[in-house]
Amino acid sequence: MNTLVEELAAICGAQYVSDKMVDRICHTRDCGPTPGGIPAVVVRPRTTEQVSEIVKLANRVKTPIFIWGRSTTFIGHGIREGCILMALDLMNKIEKMDFENQVVTVETGAIWHAVDVELGKHGWELAAPGPGGLFVCTIGGSVAYNAVPHGLLEYGMTGDGVVALEVVLPNGDVIHTGSMGNRAAGGLSFERYANGPDLAGLFIGACGVFGVITKVSFKIHRKPEKECFAFYGFDSIDVAVDAAHALQRRNAPTHLVGLFGGPKPTGVAGDAFLHIVIRDSAASAAERLAATHAICSGFNGIRHDETATEKYWVNHMYSWLRNTPPEVYYSDRPYTCPEAAMFMPTQKVKDAIRYLFDYEKEHAEEFSRYGIRIKAYDVYFSRNAAFLWIDTLYPELDAEAWKYGVQMRADYSEHLFREYASPGGILAPLAPHIMPKLEGGFDFLHFLKNQMDPNHILNPGVLMLGE
Amino acid sequence: MPDKQRSIDRVKDIVYQCNRCAHCFDLSWLGEWNKCPAYRYGAFESYTGRGRFFIARALVDGAMDYDAEIAARVFACTECRACAEHCFKYLRTTDIYAAMKEDLAARGLVPEKLAAGLADEGGLGQYHNVYQAPHAERLAWLPDRARVDKPAQVVFFVGCTSSYARQNMALDTYNLLTKFGVDFTVLSDEWCCGHPYLSAGETEKARASIEHNIEAIKKVGATQIVFNCPGCQRAFRDDWRQLTGQAAPLAAMHVVELLADWVTRGKIGVQRFRPKTIVTYHDPCVLGRWMGIYDAPRDLIKAIPGLSLVEMPRNRRDAYCCGAGGMIRYDFEGMANLAGAERIAEAQSVGAEMVLSACPACVMQLQQSRQRAKSRMKVMDITELLEQQLVPLIKG
Repeated sequence: MNTLVEELAAICGAQYVSDKMVDRICHTRDCGPTPGGIPAVVVRPRTTEQVSEIVKLANRVKTPIFIWGRSTTFIGHGIREGCILMALDLMNKIEKMDFENQVVTVETGAIWHAVDVELGKHGWELAAPGPGGLFVCTIGGSVAYNAVPHGLLEYGMTGDGVVALEVVLPNGDVIHTGSMGNRAAGGLSFERYANGPDLAGLFIGACGVFGVITKVSFKIHRKPEKECFAFYGFDSIDVAVDAAHALQRRNAPTHLVGLFGGPKPTGVAGDAFLHIVIRDSAASAAERLAATHAICSGFNGIRHDETATEKYWVNHMYSWLRNTPPEVYYSDRPYTCPEAAMFMPTQKVKDAIRYLFDYEKEHAEEFSRYGIRIKAYDVYFSRNAAFLWIDTLYPELDAEAWKYGVQMRADYSEHLFREYASPGGILAPLAPHIMPKLEGGFDFLHFLKNQMDPNHILNPGVLMLGE
Repeated sequence: MPDKQRSIDRVKDIVYQCNRCAHCFDLSWLGEWNKCPAYRYGAFESYTGRGRFFIARALVDGAMDYDAEIAARVFACTECRACAEHCFKYLRTTDIYAAMKEDLAARGLVPEKLAAGLADEGGLGQYHNVYQAPHAERLAWLPDRARVDKPAQVVFFVGCTSSYARQNMALDTYNLLTKFGVDFTVLSDEWCCGHPYLSAGETEKARASIEHNIEAIKKVGATQIVFNCPGCQRAFRDDWRQLTGQAAPLAAMHVVELLADWVTRGKIGVQRFRPKTIVTYHDPCVLGRWMGIYDAPRDLIKAIPGLSLVEMPRNRRDAYCCGAGGMIRYDFEGMANLAGAERIAEAQSVGAEMVLSACPACVMQLQQSRQRAKSRMKVMDITELLEQQLVPLIKG
């Protein structure tokens, strides 16, 4: 046993530390195509104090830490060979369900949907229904990555639901943001924008480069009285985007999804599609649904049976967006996805989809040779913008196809980020395509990283910070 | 470099399909509940479905080679199939574990106690049962020797646990079949069903064991086999097909399927259970997730007046393994105990006064776990209950 393992064991207990290859190999890659290095050791702290001690130790021995929640992103962590892999899965308790102040406080490794289920027993829910991986992803990881949740249009980004954070800084100090920061007043979580600057904002979407989120206080609200659904097909993508834009302006949907590429929904007519979810009181939901029908009809939308929309929303299975049961949809896709996802102005979706279709045509020969398939060009619409998912698939058994898939992602990321798009989650592989474009902003992030983490301990290389 | 003869290479297309989505970890739709007993026990991700796929991928890619640490992760699997049940891509995760077990067995890396228990000398190979008891005592529980090897339509395949460790379960099933006039026999030369061999990666030995039993059954002219052990049933119903590519030439049915059919069709009567009792039902992994039999035992319980069935939070396809599967008790006793304790606690949490199951191994495991927990809850095999409560209809 080496010294690092012994010191980690002294902090957490020997059973929570492993330097066995069989354990380390399991922490090298997320759901995306890009493998990272193999960590030197895996450690599983159970308390904030242990996280703090691990960070201090890493500084002492100058060994980087990579933070691991459930690793359900599609981009790639960029884990460094020989690092300390800190898995936060054991920190998964619900600390407090505060219905009076409409906040739940959980440890970072709590699973999103599991927390929602516990709140649901009391008639409440998290202020956002969670990202695509909600059945398995951690709340801390979703906040660190600022994942795009279902219900984006009404509920906003994951970060919008954050009230307060507990964070272990790169030097091992522990801080609390927002009203939680006032320790003399008991550190109550009820307001994010209290006690000066919005410190939580520094850590939301930062992918762990500025601190380890160990606790999250998140907004909660009562479950709405009514959920209703609509599903429309349109003759063209441009018209569907215009309809979506009108729905955004009317603020009618809670959740609005556009399908603009990939397989068409089974058994329905149209070239582009909108799924609409509305959640509200019964009276307001009816009013919003009427407005939705009026807008979609005005754009010559063809109304389809909304059962697929409901199944998608209730089961949280994307396959239903295409009116297909998951066992058919997913089992037919033995591929890995080099995903890129990005925000853009709503009207720019038309240009982006045209560009992607042109890219497919120009590269038809390579697509055929490498078995590249388009799973989806889907859009989650926010209050005033669009979040486009470019889900391409490649057969992972073919090393050349893998290279092509990754290059393809680089191509369209580079193009779209240069034209009008900005990515949501970035992590390591997308960073070269966006961070240098931020110019002074990137310089400032470098400055912050170097000041806060001079030894480049936390997630170095992620966001191209702390090389 | 990878050895071309390895079983893992034959299933590498499945290995490469894993999306690493982690749906094999939790039952988050029920709250913070565990899904995988091995993960709960081993704690590191290498014990999960995703972890084993990471390892399998490293094996296929030549980044790792089989060793005792890999063996520990693979043989700690209870074969509960919870990971496969909820796999986002519907992958046959257990095919990967089976391939790894075959490779580990070929390299002599089966954990020590399991290897000894299944050895040709002094183990399963010699005694044809997992309890290393004399073969001649297999039918010691039998009240009527005239049943042995007689020509009949139905064979009652008793299985090792009922034959040696829980003989009351053998007797209960025997009595049920007798009471309802089934034309059945039992075999003098019944061997272990072969299921334990599969858990140890000894595929050829499993095939030979099933083949021996099929030949013995053919001799009595039976066309149907009735089981009270889901593991034995699976060996005939599914494993034989997997091993040979052909269906076994016999219908293989669990006794609860048979009885549920009769009860729902009104062919047999049901007596009130006294006193009124709250019961819960533990789905055996093999009966439930492996073979899809969830309703028959519940239909039977619900048909008995005086019993009130309450479900545990983890039930049906979400049921938590009791720790009896995969022969893990041989080398991972602590894990088996942990899983059993957790399941008993879960049954208690819903106010059950009695836990029922439909598998001798599960019942034995839950009974031992109940004792360790000093719980007053009763644990019974469903055949014992049915033997008491089901009665022939009185004609006229």
